[in-house]
Amino acid sequence: MAGKRTRIDIIGDMLASILDKGGKIKPTHLMYKSNLAHSQMVGYLNELVEKSLIRKVKKDKNEYIIITDKGCELVQKLREIKEFEHAFGL
Amino acid sequence: MVKLIYSPQWFYGKDILIDIISIFVLLLIALFSLKYYRIKKNRNYLYLASSFILLASSFLFKILMNLNIYYKFIETKQFGLVTAVYQNMKQSHSLFFTSFLLYYLLTLFGVYALYSTYQKQSMPNHLLLIYLIFISTYLTYPHYYLFHLTLLILLGLVAYTYSRRYINKKHFSTKLVAYSFWAITISQIFYISIDLNNNLYIIGELIQLVGYSSLLIAFIMVLRYGRKENKDRHHW
Repeated sequence: MAGKRTRIDIIGDMLASILDKGGKIKPTHLMYKSNLAHSQMVGYLNELVEKSLIRKVKKDKNEYIIITDKGCELVQKLREIKEFEHAFGL
Repeated sequence: MVKLIYSPQWFYGKDILIDIISIFVLLLIALFSLKYYRIKKNRNYLYLASSFILLASSFLFKILMNLNIYYKFIETKQFGLVTAVYQNMKQSHSLFFTSFLLYYLLTLFGVYALYSTYQKQSMPNHLLLIYLIFISTYLTYPHYYLFHLTLLILLGLVAYTYSRRYINKKHFSTKLVAYSFWAITISQIFYISIDLNNNLYIIGELIQLVGYSSLLIAFIMVLRYGRKENKDRHHW
């Protein structure tokens, strides 16, 4: 069984979930995909917006979350770290 | 004071180049490991970086030690298969001895730190092993082969740990890292046997080069995987 996710793991999972959906996702989908409670997700979303990793847009009465270039860079960096972790068995 | 070295004369300096490449690989991985530690806050990254920095520093002292020997010898004589280089070490003895001791100590500490990154030890065990490393460094001087025998065992344990991780996870880059450490381990067998033929020193150095080169390839693979384009992303 996998251990408890750290803050950076959760952020990585959220950003990767957005990328999986082509870079744009509805908040409810993101909540399910990243396995978070609503209150937790709101907290993380605010932080990600503040750090310019995602942005929110409204289209046809729906709200969407869009990953930014900076967010994509972080996903790549986290992927690199994960690979390093595998390679060196950390 | 009389010192013996086992490298053929034509190979002087080339081993230093191999050591410089090893330092480059170790420091590069250590640097990235420290960078990842700042993001992930996982102490294992810090331990890995520390052990690689210790190993890189040990190579620096090995270079210093070899420079001391190669460029200050005054007489070379042939005894059967072994080339013995006599040198007047009076002036440079303390520098040589310090480099030699630090090379031994830092190498053993580096490999031990790497081993304990994966096999966690209690504080009393750490203290005991640190004490034993000091004792073994003191006793192995000037018995070159005993140092490499200790290193062979420690490196073998590290390589075995990586192999176990590869068997469990089946990750290609782990396999490459395991191969690298097996190569570095095998190079110790040649260093132990240099009394038999001084060409074994060259083989040992070349295997060490293969080991660190494959470690570099494994690391480049890590970077390339991370930098893969996010092809599924649309620009909204």
